[in-house]
Amino acid sequence: MNNDKNSIKGLKSKIETIEKKNKNESLPKKEKALNFGFKISTEIVAALIVGVGIGILVDKFLGTKPFGLIIFFIFGALAGFLNIYRVMRRIEKQ
Amino acid sequence: MASSGEHSGHEKHSPLDQFEINPLVNFEVGGVNLAFTNSSVSMVITVLFITLFLTLTVNPRSIVPSRMQLISELCYNFIAQLLNDTVGDQGKRYFPFVFSIFMFVLIGNMVGMIPYQFTFTSHIIVTFALATVVFIGVTILGFVNHGIRFFTFFYIPGVPFYMHPLLIPIEVISYLSRPISLSVRLFANMLAGHTLLKVFAGFVVSMPFFTGVLPLTFIVALTGLEILIAFLQAYVFAILTCLYINDAYHLH
Repeated sequence: MNNDKNSIKGLKSKIETIEKKNKNESLPKKEKALNFGFKISTEIVAALIVGVGIGILVDKFLGTKPFGLIIFFIFGALAGFLNIYRVMRRIEKQ
Repeated sequence: MASSGEHSGHEKHSPLDQFEINPLVNFEVGGVNLAFTNSSVSMVITVLFITLFLTLTVNPRSIVPSRMQLISELCYNFIAQLLNDTVGDQGKRYFPFVFSIFMFVLIGNMVGMIPYQFTFTSHIIVTFALATVVFIGVTILGFVNHGIRFFTFFYIPGVPFYMHPLLIPIEVISYLSRPISLSVRLFANMLAGHTLLKVFAGFVVSMPFFTGVLPLTFIVALTGLEILIAFLQAYVFAILTCLYINDAYHLH
């Protein structure tokens, strides 16, 4: 009986150490960096695509040829930075 | 690959050949091409696999689950936990939606890892359609919950009033960029991974003597990494869907 209890206790500490180990090595460092890079780059690119798209549409319908594109390109870039700021904040929270 | 292709005569193998869509059954409605393609076959396999696996493994409903039943329950718990953590109690309603998307993307990625199988998530139109469904659904959800006040989502409190003409367009663009970043991330990961595998597979054939073993071992390692990425991307897709649903409930 006593022996059984001890073995269960031992099992618990064993599980804890393994869990700790797994937590540390759940993602290899390189993989994490790669994923992070992908995240950041897609956020910037996506915002720029939307900004440029809106700019081209505005130019097409209002006939303000270069200015719509220029202004909305800048807005798109800023929105990209905003996206990254949000991603960073989310990561920091975790 | 280009060189090995030239050596073997007319046959050419590009690492991008695997992404080619071939219609199997031609079908056209009113000038719109609705052919049943190899991409459709992959999707049908994915849906059939998910349906059969989940229904058959959970069917015994044993209190002490078998291994297979445990896998199904693990999937269920994983998404239920995710929704509970990010959205809270209201999130339970959207479980079927998030679970379907997660399983579709996950099994779609995994089916793509089987040799000779087509990876439908490596096409931007597929991922973009999925992301658009999420985006439109979440936007409608926001309007249903908050009505016209949903537009205050783009209004940041505590900022000097003269900054708003600058900040509101930025917020709107940031919001509109969601489906694009969501779809591009999944598509780019799958496309890059599968291309890389095929490029190294080309080295195996073209390298002299036994040196081809080196890229072969690398492919084995890379396949493991790809399976990890396949899971990770499905997870990212699901968690972002949850976060967007959360935004539709709690503005700011």
